[in-house]
Amino acid sequence: MSEPCGQHTRDPGACARVPRDPGASALRTRLAWRRTGLSASAVALLALRPAFAPGAGPAEWLVAAAAMTTWAAIVAIALHRGRDLRTRFPGPAPRPIRAYAFLIVALAVLGGWVVML
Amino acid sequence: MLREWFNPSQTGTTPDYRFSLANERTFLAWIRTGLALIAGGLACAQFLPPLPVRHLREIIAILLLVLGALVALRAVDHWVRTERAMRLGTDLPRSRFPAVLAVAVAAGAVVIIAAVLVQVF
Repeated sequence: MSEPCGQHTRDPGACARVPRDPGASALRTRLAWRRTGLSASAVALLALRPAFAPGAGPAEWLVAAAAMTTWAAIVAIALHRGRDLRTRFPGPAPRPIRAYAFLIVALAVLGGWVVML
Repeated sequence: MLREWFNPSQTGTTPDYRFSLANERTFLAWIRTGLALIAGGLACAQFLPPLPVRHLREIIAILLLVLGALVALRAVDHWVRTERAMRLGTDLPRSRFPAVLAVAVAAGAVVIIAAVLVQVF
């Protein structure tokens, strides 16, 4: 990993070696991760709803707990990637991207469970 | 193609990181699309009144959920292929998927409109 290059850079010489505008696209990407976490929150809340409906049983509680766990993982990955984008030289990150897609699929499966209840 | 997901090839040269980040943002935009479809499916199941056709509400909900999951998986696939094309300097991958998705969503909307009209008249 190269020296971080942005407003917190300690070695200004490192900045000369990378293309200009190191901050803005990293920031935009960070905000995109945040926004995506926010969308996931809406889905998690919809999966949570039946657990608070009258007559909710263990099945509703279980699916709500699973949805919240998935949601927590989604937000954690977004925060972690956001921190990476702020502090390290930004590069492609296959792992968080792959994990994100599988967590979204998990949310869809949990949604199917909610629909079938 | 699945092997590519877990073993992204390091062939070619590293592209300008801004392009990589733009690719990442495109991926996230697709993920949000998938999440919106999943939210739509859950909302369908929870807020739609029972439709005239038996289980139509649940069928629409499940179809939206499946579509959302599909969009998420396709998003990774497209991300990997774009990343590889940028490394190799080849053309970016083209895709019919956005058009197919648009047609599918439009068809679903037509089905719901028909169901609502049947209920009204």
